[in-house]
Amino acid sequence: MNLSTAQPMPDSLLAQARAGDRNAFATLVRAHQGSVFSIGLRMLSRRDAAEDLAQDVFLQLYRKLDSIESLEHLGFWLRRVAANLAIDWLRRLPYSATRPLDEGAEVAAQETEQDPLMSRELVRLLGELPPHPRAVMLLRYQEDRDVAEIAAMLDMPVNTVKSHIKRSLTALRGQMIGAKLVVEDSP
Amino acid sequence: MNENPTNHFEEELRRRLRPVEAPEGFTDRLMAALPAQQKPVVVPFTPRVARPFSAARQFGMPAALAASLMVAVLLGVQVSKDRAHDEEVARVEEQKGIAASRELMQALRVTSQKLDLAYEAVNSPPAAGDEENRS
Repeated sequence: MNLSTAQPMPDSLLAQARAGDRNAFATLVRAHQGSVFSIGLRMLSRRDAAEDLAQDVFLQLYRKLDSIESLEHLGFWLRRVAANLAIDWLRRLPYSATRPLDEGAEVAAQETEQDPLMSRELVRLLGELPPHPRAVMLLRYQEDRDVAEIAAMLDMPVNTVKSHIKRSLTALRGQMIGAKLVVEDSP
Repeated sequence: MNENPTNHFEEELRRRLRPVEAPEGFTDRLMAALPAQQKPVVVPFTPRVARPFSAARQFGMPAALAASLMVAVLLGVQVSKDRAHDEEVARVEEQKGIAASRELMQALRVTSQKLDLAYEAVNSPPAAGDEENRS
């Protein structure tokens, strides 16, 4: 499903899914699978692990559908579970298991880019961040969530989220400038 | 608008970190992995049918309890009787033992007295008449 053309979903879809309508549940999955999969992919840097994570997240959703109050709550819930599950997996998995050598291109946005090298490098540098700042950056810039929402999703103070964003931006920008992929004074 | 280089970099991040598509067939694989639909078990309502009066059903439990109580009481009485009988037998045996002991002591006393008399008779000096008669 193309995310950019996703249609707004009726609220009744959630009720139908709760009532056991598998087609309604599949529609909910299609609407959010790209987001959940992308969090897993950019957190874990592996497509297979990201798919496992996404499947785990949606299986949890299926079991806890009754606790989902609205479509907005559904989006919040999915991102929160995906990000925290990815952080948890990163803690458990050995470092080498989450650092494939040649998946950088896949982890970058799958679309025609004017500068694919920059995208690849950006994603690679993002993957160098520790798990919590990485999750914060993904929720902020991939999922476009505000600071308070990210704090609630990751169960951390708002100021900690702001601090992670500021430090990560400084580090990423500095490394991109060092690699001459960003001009220092670019507007 | 974004004159600040950091803002420009943030916009760049947003543009390059757009969500990617999930793998082909992800939804199908997920739906296949879902647990089977758990339909609630419907138990048909069956009204309780009035059954004919049954003394065994109605009084079964009280009767069993009463019988158990009766058996317990009878057993208690029997045990008490047995214990009283045993005590009586023991008492009679004890009295018999005491009587036998008394008789034995009496017999010993009599025997002892007889022996004393015999000893005295043997050790006492003979009388004069006796000597004359002997010679």
